[in-house]
Amino acid sequence: MEHFPWLTTVILFPIIAGLFIPLIPDKDGKTVRWYALIVGLIDFALIIAAFYTSYDLANPDLQLVEQYTWVAQLDLKWSVGVDGLSMPLVILTGFITTLAILAAWPVTLKPKFFYFLMLAMYGGQIAVFAVQDMLFFFLVWELELVPVYLILSIWGGKKRLYAATKFILYTAGGSLFILVAALTMAFYGDTVTFDMSAIAAKHFPHTLQLLLYGGFLIAYGVKLPIFPLHTWLPDAHGEATAPAHMLLAGILLKMGGYALIRMNLGMLPEAHVSFAPILVILGVVNIIYAALTSFAQRNLKRKIAYSSISHMGFVLIGIASFTPLGLSGAVLQMISHGLIGASLFFMVGCTYDRTHTLMLDEMGGVGRKMKKVFAMWTTCSFASLALPGMSGFVAELMIFVGFATSDAYSPTFRVIVVLLAAVGVILTPIYLLSMLREIFYGKENKALVEHEALIDAEPREIFIIASLLIPIIGIGLYPKIATQIYDATTTQLTGYLRGFVPALVQPAPIIEGEPVAILRSPPIESELR
Amino acid sequence: MEPFLYNYAWTIALLPLLGAALVGLGLISFNKATNQLRQINAVVIITLLGVAMAYSFALLWSQTQGHETYTRTFEWAAAGDFHLSMGYIIDPLTAVMLVIVTTVAFLVMVYTDGYMAHDDGYVRFYAYLSIFSASMLGLVISPNLVQVYIFWELVGMCSYLLIGFWYDRKAAADACQKAFVTNRVGDFGLLLGMLGLYWATGSFEFEVIGERLHELVSSGALAGGMAALFAVLVFLGPVAKSAQFPLHVWLPDAMEGPTPISALIHAATMVAAGVFLIARMYPVFEQIPIAMTVIAWTGATTAFLGASIALTQNDIKKGLAYSTVSQLGYMVMAMGSGAYSAGLFHLMTHAYFKAMLFLCSGSVIHGMEAVVGHDPILAQDMRLMGGLRKYMPITSATFLVGNLAICGIPPFAGFWSKDEILGLAFQANPALWVVGWLTAGITAFYMFRMYFMTFEGKFRGNDESIRQQLKAAEMGELQPAFGPGAMDPHELGHDDHHHASEPHESPWTMTFPLVMLAIPSFLIGWLGRPWHNDFEWLVHAPGEVLHEVVEFNWTEFLIMGGSSVGIGLIGITIASLMYWQKKIDPGAIANSIKPLYNLSFNKWYFDDIYDKVFVINSRRLARQMLEIDFRIVDGAVNFTGLVTVVTGQGLKYLESGRVQFYALIIFAAVLGFVVVSSIA
Repeated sequence: MEHFPWLTTVILFPIIAGLFIPLIPDKDGKTVRWYALIVGLIDFALIIAAFYTSYDLANPDLQLVEQYTWVAQLDLKWSVGVDGLSMPLVILTGFITTLAILAAWPVTLKPKFFYFLMLAMYGGQIAVFAVQDMLFFFLVWELELVPVYLILSIWGGKKRLYAATKFILYTAGGSLFILVAALTMAFYGDTVTFDMSAIAAKHFPHTLQLLLYGGFLIAYGVKLPIFPLHTWLPDAHGEATAPAHMLLAGILLKMGGYALIRMNLGMLPEAHVSFAPILVILGVVNIIYAALTSFAQRNLKRKIAYSSISHMGFVLIGIASFTPLGLSGAVLQMISHGLIGASLFFMVGCTYDRTHTLMLDEMGGVGRKMKKVFAMWTTCSFASLALPGMSGFVAELMIFVGFATSDAYSPTFRVIVVLLAAVGVILTPIYLLSMLREIFYGKENKALVEHEALIDAEPREIFIIASLLIPIIGIGLYPKIATQIYDATTTQLTGYLRGFVPALVQPAPIIEGEPVAILRSPPIESELR
Repeated sequence: MEPFLYNYAWTIALLPLLGAALVGLGLISFNKATNQLRQINAVVIITLLGVAMAYSFALLWSQTQGHETYTRTFEWAAAGDFHLSMGYIIDPLTAVMLVIVTTVAFLVMVYTDGYMAHDDGYVRFYAYLSIFSASMLGLVISPNLVQVYIFWELVGMCSYLLIGFWYDRKAAADACQKAFVTNRVGDFGLLLGMLGLYWATGSFEFEVIGERLHELVSSGALAGGMAALFAVLVFLGPVAKSAQFPLHVWLPDAMEGPTPISALIHAATMVAAGVFLIARMYPVFEQIPIAMTVIAWTGATTAFLGASIALTQNDIKKGLAYSTVSQLGYMVMAMGSGAYSAGLFHLMTHAYFKAMLFLCSGSVIHGMEAVVGHDPILAQDMRLMGGLRKYMPITSATFLVGNLAICGIPPFAGFWSKDEILGLAFQANPALWVVGWLTAGITAFYMFRMYFMTFEGKFRGNDESIRQQLKAAEMGELQPAFGPGAMDPHELGHDDHHHASEPHESPWTMTFPLVMLAIPSFLIGWLGRPWHNDFEWLVHAPGEVLHEVVEFNWTEFLIMGGSSVGIGLIGITIASLMYWQKKIDPGAIANSIKPLYNLSFNKWYFDDIYDKVFVINSRRLARQMLEIDFRIVDGAVNFTGLVTVVTGQGLKYLESGRVQFYALIIFAAVLGFVVVSSIA
């Protein structure tokens, strides 16, 4: 531990800075928001500096590791570190949270408390992705719920208490499974340890693995969310404000996916082999079911919330693909959706600020009045419907190709899954373009245009969307800038997982209808270059 | 010189993108100033495209000199041992396509200056045109299937944006969504086919896929049926993009967009991308007879279908749109019957003469608007036109050239390409030839019906009774589909000002492109003269060995050519008797075959059937899903919550939202646990 404690710094800095907020002399919240924004920017700069100076892209293992003993008898440690899985998500967190602070500019109710919570979230979310100790993980996982709950219940819409309570019941209910599973894993075997890599090295009997896996799946399935554990999301989103949306869609949902990969895949590989087909099926259900419900939704926020659920289905399929490409696609889809989801929800907020309604029936034809808002909405919707040239397309394509070429499943299963998942490719534009048509196209809705001041986008809003679009388009144009930062880790993890798939371990079984297996004898990769 | 030429060939696609980016940034950051600059934007964009055009000609010249195929790639995405490259390929097919796209786009952009002169969205329109050109050029230089797919979708996006350009028109709003979604249905197939082919062959490169697939099928490792399925799935992409039956329904509606893009995107270039993809995938299709048959018959069906609907259209753009559908059918049929060069040759000739016809229709609409105002229902209806030859001599002359070309009258361009297709189709399957031959006759009839209605006879634009009739018919027809009051005469900011009583010829920026396009429409067919086929010599199917035509069979040529010219002339004669000389009353014929007339007039009821089967049912399914989500899935959760609350008194704190208490419990539990275990 010779190096500078980068990770501890980036986790604690915003939280400690937040503690000073009550001391700032400020009544109307104008100073506090600048303070919070600057703290956010500094922390983001620190994150970038940390990874730029001390992170080695070729190394698939944990880096920037710090360990400080907390409770010696229990082997409980303040233990942080990042590998290819967590590092992009830490960057994403810094990026989205800083933008969310900027998006919260119009907040006037209790500004001090609000920005304190935002900064607390900032540190808490990074901690979730960085901690390497199970008990510590559980603590931060819980801690980061509290600010979200408060932001929902104080700054939310009309039914905010219902939504906030539902959110906390769901996620806290899920967390109990984490606690039980974590304790079981810690105490199982000869040594008591909470260290993640030590736990991953333990070997659990198959039945226990299945139970643990199931427990984690419920907890993380709530967060991701996976059907049928998703119903808190539309409610929470339906009542949240724009910055809360950005955090929910941009980061919190990714925690589910991240933890699923970190624990279910990394620690319980045998159970993952058994559960993987279920994950795939759930993924397909997510994609189609949520796309259809989104199509029928008349409330803008809920529509986008369901679209989030639909997109997370791809993550599940990628996770369960047993190919480096599929897993890489899943991670990319998380990053990509973090950016796209945040931008879409920000646009919802922008629209609501002007129209003061979220019901599509009360909108219509506002394109003439708000040309820039219209343009930004269109771009973000195209990003969401996986238009090539933007990140969502690359991620979905990688998952499709990864799963289609996965040798862990029978060809029939793959054909059915790919076919159904591809139906999402048709459904997504249907609901997104219908939405655009109903908001912006056609004749102006007289009642709306006369009663609301429909001013066009202001520079702050354009800046936020532009900041989100730059990485979206950047990744879309040249995906390697994103994939290379985690490729080493995902490849290693897939290699590890493939060792547990029975069909792949036995020497060279030529699966019927698997022509590539025959052709593969001279490596194909060189020709693909 | 040549290495330089090839090393920097990527700039062809980049230049228009640069133009679009510049103007786009200007629009976002300095909207007012950029809009005020108007023509300066256009000049920048046109100049950049002009450079790309010159570059394309240089590449084509180099390719005709026999320069070998040039490919350059870089690694684009990687994961584990998967590597995917992007880049560009310059071969004769690419070079020809580059020239077609840049020349048509260039002329259309010049034309746009006149056509859109008074529109608010003048600058935005140029930005879109430029993005489209960049995407289309990117598509034709793609070396592999994934890159084609990428640009394939991007041109689709441009098409969406441009069809919905006048977004306050309801019809445009519906049309752009319909176009995108219908194309996505095709892309769904293309994506699946692509994945299937990659699974089977481990490659996205056209040639490699072809070779490996052949190897796999012949060695029995892959069932022939699977290979055919993949090929047909890939073919679904072109079916949607090139408006083939049964996914042709979007193209006629796409005419809601401004006329220049109808010419560029929906006639000359983007819709031809499907044919281009079939050409690129030819190594795959060629070895699968079932796929070839499917392709050929889809094309033949579409050719006939489009022509039969075009017979009864009164909207000049809709008529041309169905004619495009029909001509695309010819190209696809050519591809399916193995006439690779002929199909692409027709793509080229059609690009020029159809772009010209559309631009002519735009010129006519522009002239009509001076009389009837900015109302597409009146300005585009041929029943209000007539006698325009007197007022618009250049437009009518160029339209006539385009007409003769599309009808296949020698020596105009269309004759050579269509004749070649028909000749080769006859060799593949005489039934295909019969369909194509009949369609040629229908084509001649409806095109000249269009010409006579528009340019001959007396001008009917000032006849109030016809106007009233058209408005009433439109309202009546639209009501069931769109609800009452949905149609408003879409004013474009500047209301019906100073109506003239006579239409006028369009400004030179519009007539100049027409004249320029008339030249290739007249001459370019000569490249494909069957006794010395320069085009085929340059562009031929991969792997095909060309043998010099030792002895050209004049008898066969004269029989085939004569029969197609013959039926064309018959069509023209009937049209002239009905719509020019008025010797035959078309209304009487329509009445005597009422069911057939209605079938054609209502576009074979495709829209109605799709609406009933797909649109309504998908909406219903979605609503049911939402009900299930709300009542069952969420209901179960809330019920569980209720039970918990009722049974567990202690948990009521959670329901009342006291999270501090909850957090305290967790903390206490964990802390207690830590303390206990540290003691033990």
